[in-house]
This record gives sequence, structure tokens and C-alpha cells, in this order.
Amino acid sequence: MKNDFRLQYPLWQMGFIILLGAFAYGLSSPVTEVVNTETENSIMISIGGTQSLFAMIALLLYFILLAVFAYQLRKHNKNNPHQKVSAFSIRPPEYLEQDEGMTYITRKAAQKVYTFITWSLPLLAAFAMILPLPKLFIIWGILLVALGQYWIYYREVRSHLKEDAE
Amino acid sequence: MLKNRVKELRARYGFTQSDLGKQVDVTRQTIAFIEKGEFSPSITLALKLAKALQTNVDELFWLEGDERDEK
Repeated sequence: MKNDFRLQYPLWQMGFIILLGAFAYGLSSPVTEVVNTETENSIMISIGGTQSLFAMIALLLYFILLAVFAYQLRKHNKNNPHQKVSAFSIRPPEYLEQDEGMTYITRKAAQKVYTFITWSLPLLAAFAMILPLPKLFIIWGILLVALGQYWIYYREVRSHLKEDAE
Repeated sequence: MLKNRVKELRARYGFTQSDLGKQVDVTRQTIAFIEKGEFSPSITLALKLAKALQTNVDELFWLEGDERDEK
């Protein structure tokens, strides 16, 4: 069970979120130059050398992770034709609902995530309104909440599914 | 809290959690949750379990504090 792709799904999402955060850092603080004269209209956006390298590496890693993810997804769907996972479904694929016991632990995990979201999002919004935070920090804050929700969900479900002897 | 004798009766009949799970159409993990008292099954599942373990529901499950708790 612990190797079930649906159980590992939150970890994949966390990986994508971390790379997205790194990519956001790479794209932060670009220098924008706007030229608006009678003869020329142009916008030039330049990113620092280190930051652009960071963004490129993050993007490259993102696509590598995406390729591995797609491979694992196909493998899971091939091996589990009755429990196929779609990366584009509205319903989170990490829900384990094959019977009432699994539905119970999924509900417990989802309740914990909901509790986390109900205080973390308003708190983040309050910080963003009160403090003069740069855009990157707000993006990181949102990604941190997303990371937190997946971690809470994964930990809760994992705690119930620790392999024990029959 | 709901107490139960699922583990005891399962062992008596020599079933593994997977065997019992297959008989009542649930996963092995769900049987484990029930045995550990983490999860109270529905009436339907309790009836299926009682049937698989050749007993009655009230012999298989009881409330903590009831006289059966002294078993």
C-alpha cells in the first residue's frame, strides 16, 4: 500500500511546488526598461545572470520531474486499470476511497487540511495587506500553504497505513 | 468506543487480514483499522464480518464499558 501511486501523489505535488518556488525566485526582481518616444516603443525585461540561471535550472528540473511523473502515472494506470489516476481530474487523485475504511482516513486527512487552510490563507492575506512584502514573498507564501496542505494530508494518511504484520 | 473480537475470531479460523478483507469486500487495511479500534464499521460491514466469522454482530462488537468488555 505504501507504494501506491495515489498515496505518493502529494509528494510529487510537493516536488513540483518546490521547483515552482525556485523558478519564481529565478524570475524575481527583473529590471524593466520602458522606452516610449516618438520614434521607439519598447519594453526590455532583463533578469540577473545568477537568477536567470536559477530559473533555467528550476525549469529544467521541473520538466524532468514532469517526465518521471508522467511515466509513473502511466505505469500505475497500466497496473491498476480499475483505479486509474488522472492528473487533470477535478477530484484530487490522492483520495483513497476504495472502501469505507479508506474513505474514513481520507476524510480525517481532508479535515486536517481544511483546518489548516481556514487559518493559513486569511493569515497570509493579512500579512500581504499589512506588510510591504515583495511579490516573491507573497508567491512563496501561497506555495508554502500549498506545500503545507500536501504534507499534512500525506502525513495523516501515511500514519494510518504504516505497514504492519497481518 | 467500539470494542471487537475480530482479531481473535479471525485467528481462530486461520484467516489473514487479506483473506477476511476479500470475504467482506474491503481492503486489508480496513480490517486492520477495525481490529485496532481506529474505525467503527458500518452496520452492513459489521453484518458481513459477523457472517464471515460465523458469529453474531453483538458477539463481535460491543461498546466499551458494557459487560461484554470484561471478556
